[in-house]
Amino acid sequence: MTALLEVDKINSYYGDSHILFDISLYVERHEVVALLGRNGAGKSTTLKSLIGEVRPRSGRIVLDGTATLGLPPHAVAALGLQLVPEDRRIFGSLNVEENLLLAGLTAKSRWKLDRVWEIFPRLKERRRSRGTDLSGGEQQMLAIARALVRDPKIILLDEPFEGLAPIIVRDLLATCRMLAEAGQTIVVVEQNISAAMSLADRVYIINNGHMVEELTAAAVRDQPELLHRHLGV
Amino acid sequence: MLSHRPFLVEGLTALGLVAAPFILPHLGFAPNTVDQILVWGLFGIGFDILYGYTGLLSFGQSAFYGTGGFVAAYLLTNNLMSSVMLALVIGTIGAAIAGIAVGIVALRRTGIYFAMITVAIAEMFFFLENNPLSAWTGGENGLPGVPTPRFTLGHFSYHVGTGVSMYAFMAVFYFIGIVLALRIVRSPVGAIFSAIRDNPQRARAVGHAVGFYKLTAFVIAAAYAGFAGGLLGVLQGFMPPDAFTFDTSGQLVMQTAIGGGGTLFGPLLGATVWLYLRDFLQTTFHLGAAWKLVLGLVFVLLVCFLRRGLIGGLRDLAGLVAARRQPAIADTGPATDAGAALASVGPSRRRQEQPFSGPVLEARGITKSFGGIIANRNIDFAVEQGELRGIIGPNGAGKSTFFKMLTCEMAPSSGRIIFHGRDITGMNVDAVCQLGLTKSYQVNQLFARLTLRENIVIAALAERRGRFSLDLLRRIDRVPGLDMQVESTLALVGLGGRADVPVARLAYGEKRRLEIALALAASPSLLLLDEPLAGMSPQERAETVQLLKNIRRGRTLVVVEHDMDAVFELAERITVLHEGALLAEGTPGEIQRNSLVQEAYLGGVAAA
Amino acid sequence: MITWPNFVSQLFNGLASGALLALISSGLTIIYGTLGVLNLAHGAMFMLGGYAGYVAYHATGSFTIAVIVGAAFLIVVGGLLELVVVRHFYSRPPEDQLLVTFGIGIVIVELVRLGFGSLSKTVLPPSWAMGVTPMGFLIYPTYRIVVTVIAAAALAVLYLVLYRTRLGMIVRAGIEDSGMVGMLGINVYRVFMVVFGIGAMAAGFAGIINAPVVSLTPDMGDSILVETFVVVVIGGVGSFPGAILGGLISGEILSLTSMIDPAYSEVMLFAVMTLVLMLRPQGLLGMPSRE
Repeated sequence: MTALLEVDKINSYYGDSHILFDISLYVERHEVVALLGRNGAGKSTTLKSLIGEVRPRSGRIVLDGTATLGLPPHAVAALGLQLVPEDRRIFGSLNVEENLLLAGLTAKSRWKLDRVWEIFPRLKERRRSRGTDLSGGEQQMLAIARALVRDPKIILLDEPFEGLAPIIVRDLLATCRMLAEAGQTIVVVEQNISAAMSLADRVYIINNGHMVEELTAAAVRDQPELLHRHLGV
Repeated sequence: MLSHRPFLVEGLTALGLVAAPFILPHLGFAPNTVDQILVWGLFGIGFDILYGYTGLLSFGQSAFYGTGGFVAAYLLTNNLMSSVMLALVIGTIGAAIAGIAVGIVALRRTGIYFAMITVAIAEMFFFLENNPLSAWTGGENGLPGVPTPRFTLGHFSYHVGTGVSMYAFMAVFYFIGIVLALRIVRSPVGAIFSAIRDNPQRARAVGHAVGFYKLTAFVIAAAYAGFAGGLLGVLQGFMPPDAFTFDTSGQLVMQTAIGGGGTLFGPLLGATVWLYLRDFLQTTFHLGAAWKLVLGLVFVLLVCFLRRGLIGGLRDLAGLVAARRQPAIADTGPATDAGAALASVGPSRRRQEQPFSGPVLEARGITKSFGGIIANRNIDFAVEQGELRGIIGPNGAGKSTFFKMLTCEMAPSSGRIIFHGRDITGMNVDAVCQLGLTKSYQVNQLFARLTLRENIVIAALAERRGRFSLDLLRRIDRVPGLDMQVESTLALVGLGGRADVPVARLAYGEKRRLEIALALAASPSLLLLDEPLAGMSPQERAETVQLLKNIRRGRTLVVVEHDMDAVFELAERITVLHEGALLAEGTPGEIQRNSLVQEAYLGGVAAA
Repeated sequence: MITWPNFVSQLFNGLASGALLALISSGLTIIYGTLGVLNLAHGAMFMLGGYAGYVAYHATGSFTIAVIVGAAFLIVVGGLLELVVVRHFYSRPPEDQLLVTFGIGIVIVELVRLGFGSLSKTVLPPSWAMGVTPMGFLIYPTYRIVVTVIAAAALAVLYLVLYRTRLGMIVRAGIEDSGMVGMLGINVYRVFMVVFGIGAMAAGFAGIINAPVVSLTPDMGDSILVETFVVVVIGGVGSFPGAILGGLISGEILSLTSMIDPAYSEVMLFAVMTLVLMLRPQGLLGMPSRE
């Protein structure tokens, strides 16, 4: 049996700056995988390489049997991968509903808006508000909802809890856990390690662009110092 | 760049100008066409300084061509002046003054805005000439009866007529024009023009008053245009109103792009191709009006496939041939301890710092908010003389905003920044750099089309010459102390062996070291380094950490860096930012033991 | 002598030319906003629209068909230009984009000159729109009114397409962040092609309906291009509402100044643009600094 997503030794660059060195990882169906690492370790670049926004110069990416390396983002998205970017990138001139409609336009199977409203009742209240008028937490909900609408095989969350108030983090975390329990495959990059650990089944640690460790969530819970070595100060 | 042999280019130009009237007619050029080529070529020299060298694409050069031409023609046809030469000079001055006025407005914007504004202002000149000023300019009829020059020397008097004497008259001025332009592009100002073309932000950051230099290039271009416009009237015996049209500006742009921008000779070559094709296609192929269609197609193809024009294409070809003959030079690698052995590029010798005992740099209660979001909250920060300070913090801690405020790239919403006891809050980046505070960037900010040495020269020039200086005719190697400063900077960062390699061909690690060298060459007394290790391989990291250890002698450094091992190895004191505020400050040991810091980095896990 | 009827009729003239300028400029501004390319061939599109209408008009004798055929032709020309040339310039410096679109403009102008000669061509307005219309104390040329109405209607349609359709939603999102649009599974390049086509069509459409008012010459687009620049600089580059506001302001400046002294109308237009640049560099409705 092969994994849903298989990444084999990708090398990515910004201009001529070498960011990722032979990064390999895999993601099984219905699994939540966390990518941890310090600032600038290459976690976001890994996600961007998966969606095709950054094009790795070498390596292999196979999503559900299809090689995606080199495909433009819209083609990768069509195969069922969705990135929720770090800065959310909500369309400010579109309202909440339009943001969701836009996302659903080209999806093969799409969620009904009602299903979105069920998960994020707050968004339903603000469905006519323009993206620029949303709070940070609402923007993050919308960014996640915008990805879910396309019913993706895997959703990539880049720092979903960054800059949000603790109470909102708690709510969002609960939502994510619910999605995971419903079988949504998730890859999450997060600085808030306790938040990430409360979601993840498995953890990768990236350091200076290299994959340095793969751990199960259980192992981390038993021995937190495993993380300490790479992430602490 | 053009040649290392003195006066070679000038000599060849003179030779070409003497030979041209003997050769070109055999190729089918009408004598008048050759004269026109020279006028366009001269017009284009100034435009090339503006576009090819400084990177400012103006579609409105007709304004100055027309202004110079009409001022000169008006003076001559109304018998206000008998000397053609004097009228040409006054026309040129008039065009330059117009250039100052237009430049002040148009240079407020860059890129497409600049292009649009120049077009619109040139159209305004056209309409002014055509109607309100038609009593002086003849409106749609232009000014007929522009005399040809007469030179008197004692009893001997010579009247320039048509034919060879007219050609000689034009050729002399083209020659003077090109000699002057060569001096300008080889001067420090010329070097700074190229730097502005490649990266205006960095040119400003190393201490040059970019706005004034842009205006200088604009006025030079206007003056050349004005003089060429005057010559046009003399050549034709008539000053045509279409000198002011958009077509004129467009033709100049196309000729320059065809010949090759950034070469000074490109416009001349472009005009030769243009006018030759015009004559040739019309007479030989009887294409009639279709000649311009052919030219348009040629132009589009050139822009698509040969972006540096004909001269650029030939140069690339020559480069390819040369490269094939010569084996590539092996990367010499960094001389790790070269800096240690060499007398370091000391913090500024030019700047006499008054003895001062307080902190070198101090931030007092600085806050920055964007809309409602507060990125930095009431931060107090002080760096002592000779210190190496590290700044760390998790993502979103507000480090980059904080850093931008320290160098005055961004003004704080409240609070003050004090450098050597002087309040620098709200100063320009270039002025702050001149005071001795500069930074190296997280993402390389280099002058991409220059060589490694030329890059460092740009930064060193700012330290040697100040924010702005108009030494247009001084050779760049006559700037006192420049050479020594460049060489010692090169040695310090271990790039001496690669000095003449264009930046585009450097390896990433070398570019990264050049990035630091650019900041060093400005001889700062305080150097801020924004993630100097970003994007480096482990090997390169080790080398760069060594480099930082070398350069810290005699300097005060502040380093923002994600690589903890490096920060703890380098820094004496560390400042930790978290969620826009100061979290902790202390020695590496203190920081490592600080539970608040551990909590910030690890979220809940550390406490668990 | 300025009389009241004279003033009102100039006000209407300003409205007519303003609506037309707004239509042309909106095309330029939509293209720039979405693709980041300033199309210097936009004046040529305006001219080409006029000639396309001229050909269709003489083939069919119907003004309505001429307008439809002309507009359809321009959307195809625009789309092809994007596909064949402009697409390859997105990653090149803005100066190269200016040069190549400038060159394309010249090629189009010269092609038309080759096909139709330099002499001016005329298109007659439809018979129902000839003559004059009495309007209280003044009489006004009927076709001018028609042009104003059609241009306003076209702007309204453009508004509806931009703000009330799926395509418009994609375009507005693309103006903000075309990369994110791509990550939502939408092929942005296809959208860019359509946008370029629509932008060219806006100019071409203006060219056709304007054809009965002026006579067609191959280089008629040059001066229009420059006025369009003024409009978008005043209104704010990349802003659709800005193009409309800038168009109306420019139209009124041109016609009201020419009532006092025609020699100064263009000069006044550029003076106002300079003033706007000094006081509000991003234009009246533009977002600060998108360069």
